[in-house]
Amino acid sequence: MAMKRGPLQLLGRSFLDLVGYLGSLGMLLSEMLGALFRGRPRVLLMFEQIVRIGYGSQTVVVVTGAFTGAVFTAQTYFKFKDFGIESTIGGIVSVALCRELSPVLAGLMVTGRVGAAMAAEIGTMKVSEQIDALRAMGVHPVDYLVMPRFIAMMVSMPLLIAESIVFGLAASWLVSVVGFGIPHAWFWGHVVEHTNLEDVAFGMIKGFFFGIIIVLISCHQGLETTDGAVGVGLGTTRAVVYASLTLLIVNYFLTLLLTQFFPMGTGT
Amino acid sequence: MKPSPSHSPSPAPAVSASSGDSFIQLRGVEKAFGTQRVLRGLDLDIYRGETLVLIGPSGEGKSVLLKHIIGLLRPDAGSVCFDGTLLEDLDERQLRPVRRRIGYLFQNAALFDSLSVADNVAFPLREARVKNEDEIQQRVQEALEIVELGEHAAKMPINLSGGMRKRVGIARAIVDQPEILLYDEPTAGLDPIVTDVIDHMIRRMKKRFGITSVVITHDMGSVFKVADRIAMLMKGVIYFEGTPKELRSSRDPLLRNFITGRSEMTMRSGWGDRAPAHDNPIHPD
Ligand SMILES: Nc1ncnc2c1ncn2[C@@H]1O[C@H](COP(=O)(O)OP(=O)(O)OP(=O)(O)O)[C@@H](O)[C@H]1O
Ligand SMILES: [Mg+2]
Repeated sequence: MAMKRGPLQLLGRSFLDLVGYLGSLGMLLSEMLGALFRGRPRVLLMFEQIVRIGYGSQTVVVVTGAFTGAVFTAQTYFKFKDFGIESTIGGIVSVALCRELSPVLAGLMVTGRVGAAMAAEIGTMKVSEQIDALRAMGVHPVDYLVMPRFIAMMVSMPLLIAESIVFGLAASWLVSVVGFGIPHAWFWGHVVEHTNLEDVAFGMIKGFFFGIIIVLISCHQGLETTDGAVGVGLGTTRAVVYASLTLLIVNYFLTLLLTQFFPMGTGT
Repeated sequence: MKPSPSHSPSPAPAVSASSGDSFIQLRGVEKAFGTQRVLRGLDLDIYRGETLVLIGPSGEGKSVLLKHIIGLLRPDAGSVCFDGTLLEDLDERQLRPVRRRIGYLFQNAALFDSLSVADNVAFPLREARVKNEDEIQQRVQEALEIVELGEHAAKMPINLSGGMRKRVGIARAIVDQPEILLYDEPTAGLDPIVTDVIDHMIRRMKKRFGITSVVITHDMGSVFKVADRIAMLMKGVIYFEGTPKELRSSRDPLLRNFITGRSEMTMRSGWGDRAPAHDNPIHPD
């Protein structure tokens, strides 16, 4: 007799799947810890990845940051003008950029650009037995493929976010000062008054964790790829979807946690 | 030597006195993928310095068997012993010293498609931390010349023909002078002349450096040219194990059909007339 699938079974099933998935991610994480202590560091590969991940993602991140800053400034201006408080825009925009907009949007863009590439590249190597070829020559795939990407990402993400913040602010300045004619002194005064180094650190620390999420999930999908070209496609899609969603969820809790250490500045 | 033309797996022989020169021992190895049982309690010894040729029908698990020897696959049951070390006791990282003694040619060559031919061949050397770049270049060139690809060092694997890729794979396997070479169909897809070159190379490696080789091949010409011993994998066990002479003189119909390349189609499916059981002259050298 066929089991009837009630909603409860489905729920149980997805819960088990989730636990299995997390376990598998945990295994990779422990392999990475192993690589840290027992593996051979691959400095050259790491620099290669820093160039590809960090240097190569700048355009995407800068454009995202700039236009987010610009549009956020414009929208805020339209509303604030009604209350006559448009001079405070700089403070609002810079805090929002530092704490949420730049880290989250840069994180999502890098997921799409870099996470997808990692999953596809490693996945293709898996299905064409190149990973087995590495292993056959005594090279641990985590040492060779994951760790360089991991370190590159942890170095690059905070810097990319800082860059995104800078360009977001610059765009905001252009829109407010040049576009809407808010005096530079007002704009800049509010930026400096409401933004501390802590706010920038807040964003960069988030970037650090987002980097870990992106590498872990994308490389995991790549290494677990089976079933040829279809599998590579599936793995790439999953990498982007899982990493983006995880990033957004983790972002919320990170905000709560980091606010304990870096409370929102009160201004004067 | 045990020509064992029985269909049931023979009982596992205990590790015998002859294991003194036995380099690799597989005992009762079982491996299944899902419900498909590929290896079903397989026993095999590989002796130091010999060239063992592994034959058997396509899809019977020859490649799977070879991957067990280097620990790329792990048996569901049974054990693989490499020069006195049980592979099951080693984790992925601890396998490194074992694997560094082995050269492995993948059936599909498995070249790194992001590296040039020369960098592919140099890979094992760089991993072995050969620091002198001149020495690396020289050894890479030598290895490429052995497989007659001296002029193609700068190409990318994607731009090579199938047979060329295979030969780059061979060069990569031999470049660091391993103690044992595992070739998965080294001459598949190669023309007769290059096939002969590769066969000669396999023999030369054995004579000159005393290298142990395991060669999977479907080319019966190659089998008799390179083999000291032949093992045939069928139905998940070693169905036959013996010298080329023993294989030739075997009267087992399955073996004879296999080495002469006769299909049993007419007998099996009843297409056409039942073929008269005429004698097969078995390939005379
Ligand atoms: N990773 C795997 N997952 C599932 N099945 C597999 C896997 N690897 C091998 N098999 C199955 O195991 C069987 C043996 O495969 P194997 O590649 O060893 O055959 P083979 O003897 O080398 O054949 P050929 O001479 O054609 O190369 C095949 O039926 C194959 O489908
Ligand atoms: Mg095969």
